[in-house]
Amino acid sequence: MTVEKKYIWLVLLAFFFACNTGNKVAVIPVNDFFKSQDKASYRISPDGKSLSYLKLQDKKQNLFVEDIASGKIVQLTKLQEKNISFHSWVSNDELIYYKEKEGVRFQSDIFIINSEGKDERQLSSNAKARIRVLEDQLIDNKFLLVLSNQRDSTVSDVYRLNVRDGEMQIVAQNPGNITNWMTDSKGKLRMAISSDGVNETFLYRENEAQKFKAIITNNFKTTLFPVAFSENKPNIVYAVSDVNRDKNALIELDCITGKEKSVLFANDTLNVVDAQYSRRKGKMEYVVGETWKKQKHYLDDTAKLFYEKLDKLLPKTEYRVIDRDKNENVFVIRTFTDRNPGSYYLYIAATGKLKKLSDNNSAINEDQMCEMKPISYTSRDGLKINGYLTLPLNTDAKNLPLIVLPHNGPGQRNTWGYNAEVQFFANRGYAVMQINYRGSTGYGKNFYAAGFKQWGGKIQDDIDDGVKWLINQKVANPKKIAIYGSGFGGYIAMSAAIKSPQLYKCAASNSGVLNLFSYLNSIPPFLKSNLQMFYEIVGNPITEADYMSQVSPLFHADKINIPIFITQNIKDPRINTNDALRLVKELKKRNVPVTYFEKEDSHFVSKREESRQKVYSALEQFLDNNLKKK
Amino acid sequence: MVSEKDSGYRKNFSLIVTFIGLVSAIFILSLFLAYKFSKKNIENDFVSAKANVLEESIKPYNDFFLNKLPEISFYNGYLDSTTASKFVDTILIQYPFITKVVFYDTEVKNENYFDDGINLGNFSVGMKNVYQFSSVGRGEKRKIIGQSQVKNNTTLENFNTVTFKLITFVQKLDTTIVPSQEELFSNFTNIQSNRIDYFNIPSFEILKNYKKMVMNKLEDEPVYQQDMLSFELDPNKIKINNTRPLLYQSVKIVPVTYDPIDTSSEYVSGEITLGGPFSDYKLFFISSKSFIKSEIFSYFLPIAALLLFFYGLLMLVGFLIYRNLNINHKMFKLQYDFITNLTHEFKTPVSVIKIAGNNIKSAASLSSKEQQMYGRILDEEADKLNGLMNKLLAFTQIENKAITLNQDEVNMEDFIESTIEAHTLKHPDFNFTYEVTGFKTFITDPVLLGSLFDNLAENAYKYSPVDHKKLHITARLIKDRIVLRFKDGGIGIPSSEINNIFKKFYRIQNRYNQNGSVGLGLAFCKELVNFMNGEISVKSVVDRGTEFKIVLPYNN
Repeated sequence: MTVEKKYIWLVLLAFFFACNTGNKVAVIPVNDFFKSQDKASYRISPDGKSLSYLKLQDKKQNLFVEDIASGKIVQLTKLQEKNISFHSWVSNDELIYYKEKEGVRFQSDIFIINSEGKDERQLSSNAKARIRVLEDQLIDNKFLLVLSNQRDSTVSDVYRLNVRDGEMQIVAQNPGNITNWMTDSKGKLRMAISSDGVNETFLYRENEAQKFKAIITNNFKTTLFPVAFSENKPNIVYAVSDVNRDKNALIELDCITGKEKSVLFANDTLNVVDAQYSRRKGKMEYVVGETWKKQKHYLDDTAKLFYEKLDKLLPKTEYRVIDRDKNENVFVIRTFTDRNPGSYYLYIAATGKLKKLSDNNSAINEDQMCEMKPISYTSRDGLKINGYLTLPLNTDAKNLPLIVLPHNGPGQRNTWGYNAEVQFFANRGYAVMQINYRGSTGYGKNFYAAGFKQWGGKIQDDIDDGVKWLINQKVANPKKIAIYGSGFGGYIAMSAAIKSPQLYKCAASNSGVLNLFSYLNSIPPFLKSNLQMFYEIVGNPITEADYMSQVSPLFHADKINIPIFITQNIKDPRINTNDALRLVKELKKRNVPVTYFEKEDSHFVSKREESRQKVYSALEQFLDNNLKKK
Repeated sequence: MVSEKDSGYRKNFSLIVTFIGLVSAIFILSLFLAYKFSKKNIENDFVSAKANVLEESIKPYNDFFLNKLPEISFYNGYLDSTTASKFVDTILIQYPFITKVVFYDTEVKNENYFDDGINLGNFSVGMKNVYQFSSVGRGEKRKIIGQSQVKNNTTLENFNTVTFKLITFVQKLDTTIVPSQEELFSNFTNIQSNRIDYFNIPSFEILKNYKKMVMNKLEDEPVYQQDMLSFELDPNKIKINNTRPLLYQSVKIVPVTYDPIDTSSEYVSGEITLGGPFSDYKLFFISSKSFIKSEIFSYFLPIAALLLFFYGLLMLVGFLIYRNLNINHKMFKLQYDFITNLTHEFKTPVSVIKIAGNNIKSAASLSSKEQQMYGRILDEEADKLNGLMNKLLAFTQIENKAITLNQDEVNMEDFIESTIEAHTLKHPDFNFTYEVTGFKTFITDPVLLGSLFDNLAENAYKYSPVDHKKLHITARLIKDRIVLRFKDGGIGIPSSEINNIFKKFYRIQNRYNQNGSVGLGLAFCKELVNFMNGEISVKSVVDRGTEFKIVLPYNN
């Protein structure tokens, strides 16, 4: 070959690569998607001058305090392990922190320390009981409300913890069925919610001297949760409720009668999921309504001004206020988007300045992530079904290989935000469809109830209808569709393999439910009270054994003919490991291609990452073999 | 060496006979061995194929035991009478050897509670309801007997045995090691003679709870569902799958103790024990000796046929080799004759020339008459020699395709007339006639065509009786082809020889060609015609005459 020819080849080769890199998306390692910083637990001192946080260095977790103005950092603790569960400012220059460690001896100790890292004192030590903070607001400058099981290891009572001397004084005794407690703005415990597993009862007292009285009882299908006590109206609690309506609304609940007194915000198409109350102003600031994305609806003009300023600084971003100082000037904010796992920011309202504290997952580059877009279609029986579609970067929305990703259940939904699995699949070149099938929460009471006992029935139809809709939109390649899910998502994937094998090329279940009988039978004894609820949602094995065997994939292994991928954690107490083994055996006997993995759930991060790497690499391979190869 | 001198060829009949004898002996020996082998094989088969029949016959049971039984565990103890009846229904239809199923709907509680059950510490297993299903007759497949009747009607022995097994297992359970599936299966199943009892296998988490329940009274008073199914089996209803109906005349299921005394020397028998819950029974195989014999023959015959085929093949090959040798012998003889003839042919002119030469040499003077005579003789004999050599040369050339074809226009009538002239000059008694129709001229190689005409004319003259020396040539144009016919009134060719006349060195033995013939003439003609892309054929009647037909392409 002459020299000139060689050069021509080189130039051509260079052109080839240049053209290629234009469209190609870098393949990101599996674990990068799932990495997540341990909770940094940012706290702001009451005067707004200092910021405290936990930091993990070489498996040692320690408490640090930073002076916001000067940036000076002081390390308060010198611990050898990671065991601080919470910390809190108890004055402008004092903090308490709580250590907990499971082991031979249940170590749960509370310490107080000043912000210079001096004068550390142990307030309490209890070898048997655990402590949880109920309200992280200091009452009378020295009391903290905590939950502890020191009286009876199976129930949590409410105590007033003196942060000066560690003394604990019982405030309310839990008869055993209380699941939630609520205090008023002065820190007085006035409301409790009890549950028998199926029905929830609100209990109220006007002051701590009185006894709790039941005021309203609701079935689990109904949503009612308190947001805050009203500052200026006596016996009124702001609550999110769908009592006597389909969608959640923000109401005022009369605590004497248990009746709804007035509606602050309601909309027939909008589901309220949260509301923000300002103790300083004594007012409801806004409600959060969620359709495909969460949106604020302001009830207060100053709040509107305040948050619109923040919205401008953080466009197209969802954020939550984590902590604030007493004057509501200094804030810690947690953000995220569909393409970004999010960050912590420090926001100072007076100056309008935003400062990034840390990233939740610095391995993720927002530009390489894919946008999550809302979709909706009508099911065969006329129900509007919502979902999300994520398309791989740099591709036309045409004839793409598709992964259907039904969410776990029961009583869950997909929301807009960063989802590691979705981004992983999209990065590998697949379109990803998530469907909020009937029975998903967040679309009203009726939609939720419509999914009861429809496992393997109308829920399956909703998924199939979605896939058909996407095929009709020409987005999905009808010959390259896979279905994958975990938990009940895995159940849906396996049922799809049995019910609609013509639609899906292959199906994968990650720790999926394979047998509804086993699922119900594995509910631990301490949740037995919930059993009736599960019977209503999943099916009653005593009276409806026939339906349940009809829709449990394990019973129908003989109908599976498409390639299957199954993982399970054999140490998971919530499953019957024999089920998956039997299914795999049966499929192997019939020469159906099946990939089976036992994964480990380890306490060690490195081992967990290794296991995750293995499972997702195998899954990627499985999908590649079935969707990408001819 | 002597025989070679006789015929130039070795013929050894004793060799052939030895060959045939040896091959036949091997054939008979192998037939005998094949029969021995077949007999031995079938006898072995009778022993070894029993396992096969057993395996095939017990297959439905294995399928039931390994696949259908564990399915009970899928229900996690939630079987009720209707679901159980559906489940049992399919089993009764699918597996005819199951005659009765008893379903014990059982509860495990954390208290000392059951009347109908077994307690150990605070762990009790007791029945809530008992149902019985059985296949009754042909139409009605199942029958449910309600709880109260069964409790009184069935013995609780089976229930107690399996429950006891379960409790023992729970008691000994090591909660740190997950028990293997096989271990679980064996501890939740009880296999007895003609019955199988099966408890559904709970998950490890529940087993751990069971263990706790034995020792303690738990706060939440857990209650767990267990299902026990007890299957009654009838070995006589196992469908025997006789995979070798030609080997085993009769196969039946009999108790292990069955030992008939009338198995005389006329019969061959064998047995194999059924496993699992049927271990009290065996499969009994019996066949009469004549029955076995027919099986031996059915095994032996294909082998014999194969041997026969090979024998036949060997004989055929032997025959073909013999025939080839024969032909070679004939060829050898022909070439030998050719050399003799050729020598003879050359000898005559050479000796004439020699005599003439001697005469001239010894004569004192030659008269002009003598001189002319000798000149003519020498000239003629030289021509003869030259002609012979030309013929030989041309033949080898044509045969090796060493010459090229000239393309000249030939006027047919002129051409034939000049041939006639040449021949009548030589043989004045030659009656030579011709006719040409349809064309006048055509393109061919005149030299080759001349050779062809000369040879055929020479032959016609040679093989005709003295008063019948005549030849009639017809030339016709038929459909783009020239058809030439040479019809003479000669001695004809016997039909047995007609296929050989175009062969090299072949001569029909008769008085007309005692000398002066090499046996190349017609072979040469055939080569010529082939070379000119034509065809030659012959029709002949002995003593009446011969007609050669030559078809040549007509290029104009």
